[in-house]
Amino acid sequence: MLVMTDIVKRYGPTLVLDGVGLAVKAGEVMALMGENGAGKSTLVKILAGIEPSDQGRIEIDGKPVAIRSPGQARAAGVGYVAQELSIIDSLSVAENVFLGDSSIGIMRSAAKLAEMARPYLDRVGLDYVDPLALAENYSVAERQLIEIARLLSRKARIAILDEPTAALSESEIIRVKAAVRAIAADGCAVIYVTHRMPEVFELTNRVTVLRNGKSFAPMETATLSIDTLIEAMLGRQLGKMFPPRAARLGAEAVRLESCMTPGLKAPVSLSVRSGEILALAGQVGSGASTILRLLAGVTPLGSGAIFLEGNAYAPKSVADGIASKVVYCSDDRKRDGIFAVRSVPENLSAPALSAISRFQLLSGSLEKGHIRSIAAKFGLDERYFSRLAGNLSGGNQQKVALGKWIGLNPKLLLVEEPTRGVDVGARAEIYKHLRELADGGLSIIFASSDTQEVLGLADRIATFFHGQLVQVVAADTATAESLTRDVTRAEQAA
Amino acid sequence: MTSQNPTAERRIRIPRPVYGLAAILAIVAVAGFTTPSFATLDNLFVVIRAASLTGIVAIGMSYITISGNLFALSASSLGALLAVLFALITAQFGFAAGVVLTLLLAGVSGVAQGVAISLIGNPIITTLAFGTVFRGLAALLSGNSILRIESDLALWIGTARPLGIPTQSWAFVVAALLSWFVIRHLKLGREIVLCGANPQAAIASGLRVGMVTSVACIALSTGVAIMAMLTVSQFSQAKADLFMGYDFDYIAAVLVGGIALRGGRGSPLQAALGAILIALLQNFMLLNGFSAGLRMTIVGFLVVVSISLFHVLQGKSR
Repeated sequence: MLVMTDIVKRYGPTLVLDGVGLAVKAGEVMALMGENGAGKSTLVKILAGIEPSDQGRIEIDGKPVAIRSPGQARAAGVGYVAQELSIIDSLSVAENVFLGDSSIGIMRSAAKLAEMARPYLDRVGLDYVDPLALAENYSVAERQLIEIARLLSRKARIAILDEPTAALSESEIIRVKAAVRAIAADGCAVIYVTHRMPEVFELTNRVTVLRNGKSFAPMETATLSIDTLIEAMLGRQLGKMFPPRAARLGAEAVRLESCMTPGLKAPVSLSVRSGEILALAGQVGSGASTILRLLAGVTPLGSGAIFLEGNAYAPKSVADGIASKVVYCSDDRKRDGIFAVRSVPENLSAPALSAISRFQLLSGSLEKGHIRSIAAKFGLDERYFSRLAGNLSGGNQQKVALGKWIGLNPKLLLVEEPTRGVDVGARAEIYKHLRELADGGLSIIFASSDTQEVLGLADRIATFFHGQLVQVVAADTATAESLTRDVTRAEQAA
Repeated sequence: MTSQNPTAERRIRIPRPVYGLAAILAIVAVAGFTTPSFATLDNLFVVIRAASLTGIVAIGMSYITISGNLFALSASSLGALLAVLFALITAQFGFAAGVVLTLLLAGVSGVAQGVAISLIGNPIITTLAFGTVFRGLAALLSGNSILRIESDLALWIGTARPLGIPTQSWAFVVAALLSWFVIRHLKLGREIVLCGANPQAAIASGLRVGMVTSVACIALSTGVAIMAMLTVSQFSQAKADLFMGYDFDYIAAVLVGGIALRGGRGSPLQAALGAILIALLQNFMLLNGFSAGLRMTIVGFLVVVSISLFHVLQGKSR
């Protein structure tokens, strides 16, 4: 149905797409995969009319089409759901479904619009949603589904979904997958950009891999394994994605005793040993990230007690936590993980200003030593030192966001979504460095919605559901199925 | 000639103050050729003298901008209040007491504004309100009359020219260098820059964002206090309507200097250069007999052009 051939795109001297091709059939879900910077987003933006291509042909149903603007793309039957959602909170669900649709007159009544939106909402599994309610009342997953309903309303025959599940938890992803299957079954050609391996295998028919601006012939998903796919994306043997688990653990580093805090529905008791990596698995709102924020000093302790190396620990602020060498990396590094407009060294030394100063005066040599040791421990190339943090790739930004804490020699590292928006290669590196730090005696607690990551990186897994700790299991006894069951267990019981 | 080797990919960064310097040189060159009385040493001193008081406050204002708090709109009113207070205290207790207490009160006003900004979250609204309070207090305390002081020391400070350079210009140069040193080399300066660059990340890194806002307000208040004391000393009098309408001049110097509105970038030196640049332009226009209205239009236009220009340059460096 869709054939793109020989697409070339340059940004200045950089060749982003070097003669890329992509062919998708009606009713098929095509995964578009590749590391960050491989050109996936650029390719789909060209198809969506957001970026012009420098060269290349696009044919739909055998006829060449010119796509130079989003309007032309829409007219050609191409629908695009961007990574950043374009749902307007202050409009109703129905208005969002028909947003930008010029065939809908402005005089159309709200009730009529709601009635028109109904079938599209039903089709993507939002049959319980009130089309007249404001979009702000719905979750990220539901808004994602509203975007897909918008594609349907526009009669899109080619649907592009750019990382639709990046911000979603496992059970929410199930709903998006169902919606994608539904639109493919209606004959839509779906281009599905993602970093998540499980989705590729469960959802897609074929995979097109982009690497260094070049495309490779599509592969049947059924013939692939995770390892062959990762290696295709990297262009080299990966060895293993995850480093081996801790050989031996130290003494108990942190202990929570019947801790309660807003966001939890039942007291939580947990302990982590020195050198151990504990995963907190759960959907959004399960309480998993609440535990991280509690330990970090973001949320105050309601009742219960926390012990850090045997001493009572009750941080009232993030600064308190840092003073006790408990450090926290949130899941939104653009918001509070990095200083985008400052250089990499200034980012890395930000939490350690006292350590690099003498009598309130910054010391250039102390700062240099500080950032060099971080760079060495976290595999950050010194070539990046002259760059602004905001100009780095997602993977390197995450290394900066995490690495800035390593300079403080923390006792406990708390990480929310350690590799969100990080490509496969950098992901494996971050896992390796986190494990090395743990082997050096650091305790790490991370919360993640990525099942592979939880199973592969952790020594033990604590599963959360609805503000309660469900159970703690050794990671080597858990499977993707058991994990999914645990984090959604009451849903299935109900 | 273009080279294609990979090392050429590393872009050479032109520091922003260089643009300001280039603009100053351009104005000097054009004006020097067209206006004979412009390119004289005497006139250069006149220009720097004219830029000095505005420049000192603009340097303080740059702390507000760099710390991520946009602008304060209370500087001119605070100047009037501090001028009145300085005159009252000096008349009563002498010059030294006047200086010390005025600086102290400036610090208090800085902390008050800093705390209020942290609580309210909007520096523009907060300082607008504070400005009205300050102007009102100045009128109350002065009884709307002209306050006179008689102090030889004050008169000397206000009118002397050590080494042939007015005290105001000395103060301007010292303030510029000191402010640059604080931002560039002190731990506190780095903290100010980081808090301006991303307050959320600053809090998450354990930095003291509220304290930084107060420090920035104190820096501005100190600049305002120096301006107020130098002005009162020079004319031996103070009144409540001093510096009325000057707020735009301070902000214009910061903007023309190319300090990013969003905070976290730039240096106080840029604000100093911005003040000199505007003074040069004003001087050139005065020498050529431009009317007040025309001068105002051109300076306003310069601000618009420089903001747009820096915005474009910033976009390119991404």
